[in-house]
Amino acid sequence: MGDTTFSGGWIFAFLIIAVLFGGGGFGFGGNAAAAGLATMADVNAAIANQTTQNALGQIALSSANNNYETAQLISGQNMAMMQQANSDLINAIQGFNQVSSSIQTGFASVNQNIANLGFQLDKCCCDIKTTLLNDRLMDAQTKLNQQYTAISNAEQSQYILGQLGTYTPRAAVL
Amino acid sequence: MNLMNMMGNPMLRQAMGAMMRGESPQAFLKNLANTNPQLQGLNFDDLEGTAKTLCEKNNVNMNELADKIREFANSNII
Repeated sequence: MGDTTFSGGWIFAFLIIAVLFGGGGFGFGGNAAAAGLATMADVNAAIANQTTQNALGQIALSSANNNYETAQLISGQNMAMMQQANSDLINAIQGFNQVSSSIQTGFASVNQNIANLGFQLDKCCCDIKTTLLNDRLMDAQTKLNQQYTAISNAEQSQYILGQLGTYTPRAAVL
Repeated sequence: MNLMNMMGNPMLRQAMGAMMRGESPQAFLKNLANTNPQLQGLNFDDLEGTAKTLCEKNNVNMNELADKIREFANSNII
């Protein structure tokens, strides 16, 4: 293997060749541009482009890092919002359950009152019927007493008339 | 046009081959001058002075060009 460190004057030999024959490849001097090959400006532009690419890469990396951090922040906020929403939902359900329990308690009370009212209505109806029956019984008793009185009066009248010697047909018993 | 296109110069490739074989740059250039009139009349015994003169005449920054050549060599393009 020979010398690849440009010692012994090889770097100057390459410089001479590059300057005089650069149009064929290195493009420094000569008719490089006319030959469509790289010129010094092309080299500088290529290096500048590489620098730009590196800078853009750094920007892209920075942007990606920022996006990741932003996503993390959003994720954290979303998690907090979801937890808050979950807590609110649990509270709402618990509140609903309390209201539902209160409503059921109220319904139970109302049902009990309705049952009591029904019992009172039954009792009232029974009392009314009893009163009516008692009234009718008393009325019948009164009428019966009146009949008994009438019968007794008729028998007395018949007896008196009999004692007087006057015949009177016996009164029919009602 | 990119950096890779610069290695299309056949003379530079020949010079690289000679250097790898351990030849002297003066002998290589003198042999090359036999078929290339541009090299005839140059003083190959003072390669640095000749290179400086050529760079000045062609308005080329010698140090910058030397750096480019070293850069290409170190990047395994040659």
